[in-house]
Amino acid sequence: MSKLFSASFLPCVAAAGLYLGGALMSPFALAGDAGAGSDVFQTECSECHSVKEGRNKKGPSLFGIVGRAAGTAPNYKYSDALLQAHWVWTADKLHSYLSQPARQANPGTKMKYDGLDDPKQLDDLITYLSTIH
Amino acid sequence: MLNRRPLRRMHRVYLWLAAALLLIASTSAQAIPAYARQTGNACADCHAGAYGPALTPYGMRFKLNGYTDTDSNGVKIPVSAQITGARNVPAEGKSSDELTEADVYIAGRATDNIGGYIKIATDNSGDNKFNSHLSDVDLRFVLKDVNVGKKEATFGVSVNNNPGFQDPVSDLFASTQLGPPDVTGSLLNPSSPNSLAERVIGATVYGLYDSDWYGEIGTYTSLPVSEQDRLGYAPSGDPGKLGDTGYARFAYMKDLKKQFFSAGVVALTTKRDLPRTGPPEDVTDLGYDLTYQFIGNRKNIVQASFVNILELRHYGILPASPIPGVTALTQGAVHDRTLSLTYTFLQTYSVSIAHLESTATRDVVRYEPYGIPDTTSNQFIVSWAPFGKDDSFTHLANLKLSAIWFRFSQFNGASQNVFGAPPGFPPTSARDLDAFLVMASVAF
Repeated sequence: MSKLFSASFLPCVAAAGLYLGGALMSPFALAGDAGAGSDVFQTECSECHSVKEGRNKKGPSLFGIVGRAAGTAPNYKYSDALLQAHWVWTADKLHSYLSQPARQANPGTKMKYDGLDDPKQLDDLITYLSTIH
Repeated sequence: MLNRRPLRRMHRVYLWLAAALLLIASTSAQAIPAYARQTGNACADCHAGAYGPALTPYGMRFKLNGYTDTDSNGVKIPVSAQITGARNVPAEGKSSDELTEADVYIAGRATDNIGGYIKIATDNSGDNKFNSHLSDVDLRFVLKDVNVGKKEATFGVSVNNNPGFQDPVSDLFASTQLGPPDVTGSLLNPSSPNSLAERVIGATVYGLYDSDWYGEIGTYTSLPVSEQDRLGYAPSGDPGKLGDTGYARFAYMKDLKKQFFSAGVVALTTKRDLPRTGPPEDVTDLGYDLTYQFIGNRKNIVQASFVNILELRHYGILPASPIPGVTALTQGAVHDRTLSLTYTFLQTYSVSIAHLESTATRDVVRYEPYGIPDTTSNQFIVSWAPFGKDDSFTHLANLKLSAIWFRFSQFNGASQNVFGAPPGFPPTSARDLDAFLVMASVAF
């Protein structure tokens, strides 16, 4: 029984781990420069978002954003649009979301952002955000 | 023969004026911690040096949105306070160390559409005698995210008491509280004698289209002298009775995130009875302003602005002439200009330089002693504001230490003997009006 359990369960755990690891450590997250990403964050995001845990501004805290389920930052009043967006902020999802106007990526969102069309800056930013845990 | 007493009094008045200008320019329209509590933002998000007064583009948007933006996390008490102490070292006269000002701000949002800013200032008028007065007020109703065609717009109404204070670009004299000090200045310059600042009440309607195009029109009327007195203002500074007053402002603003620039025009016209017994004079201010900000990654910020206001006057009163055969002009013009440059490092350390000029039409009857009221002055400020950043000890309060030097190179059109003292009387040079100030402010 234990062999059977080991034989069938461990690969599942490994697969899940690979999946989760892939979500958190996507090629986008690994490709960038976190130091440069910090500067991109300051320019593009810092007025509306903090990276401090529990510190919401006009937008929610981005502490631990990579891997977090959408609409789940504590004590932040999200739009209905984001509450109903049942996705996880993987590096891939952030890349897709931030590369276009926010209201196109999630119609009905409160977020006002025109999108970042520089792929290098986007990679740097997501790499930086993936370090904020 | 000229009497010595009026000369001394005049000298004292202008020494006081120089010191007062330093304080006004240094303590007004600063970062308000109540806004930081309301929004979750740090002071540095809206003010490059984390203490104001100059606004970042984000601060401009907060103002345009009627001070209503929030972190969506409950109701915050919209009250803040600021205490300022200073060591004032004038070039002439006694130095002083004193608590110079204590301010209470009622500032924040009432609803998603209504917000405001009210400052109640208590000034030390000398010998630790304190005088409270209602300072700047800006109450707003705003409609956000309005679709106009395929673009977004913001529309609002501002009820305020200082034309230009409500401006989003915040480089006009009323916003910076740094107009050229002079003996006769434009209506849009709060440093002018009998200025409109805080002694009028008005309403303006404004709109921002597609984030870039700003327009505003409105009107003002002066408060009755008795009401000014009740609000803490000396009747001698009454701006007079205003009629048919119109205010207009248009600006193009471009926020490129790492950089910002704006170009605008402003106009104010009125018929003014000063004194209130009339007859009225027609006064029209026409001006333009240019600003540029390099913001980058917020570590090195440069802010520059140029404001140029021309005032055209058709006088209602011809003063008696002391010179036989010479009469005062019936028309004249005043020209106020400021050029300022500020560098801020790590949103903490700032160096600021400003050049201020006021010139006017030569009139030997109106402007004693030389018929030329021109002034030229400079302000230099070095300051340190350690808090009010996302990563500082606190982002909800701040401290600012400043060293300020105000320097006059011309006053009453002269650099020497600016009050026209006759032989045998001690002359006053423009540099005698200089002042140096070390100041500490705490806001919470």
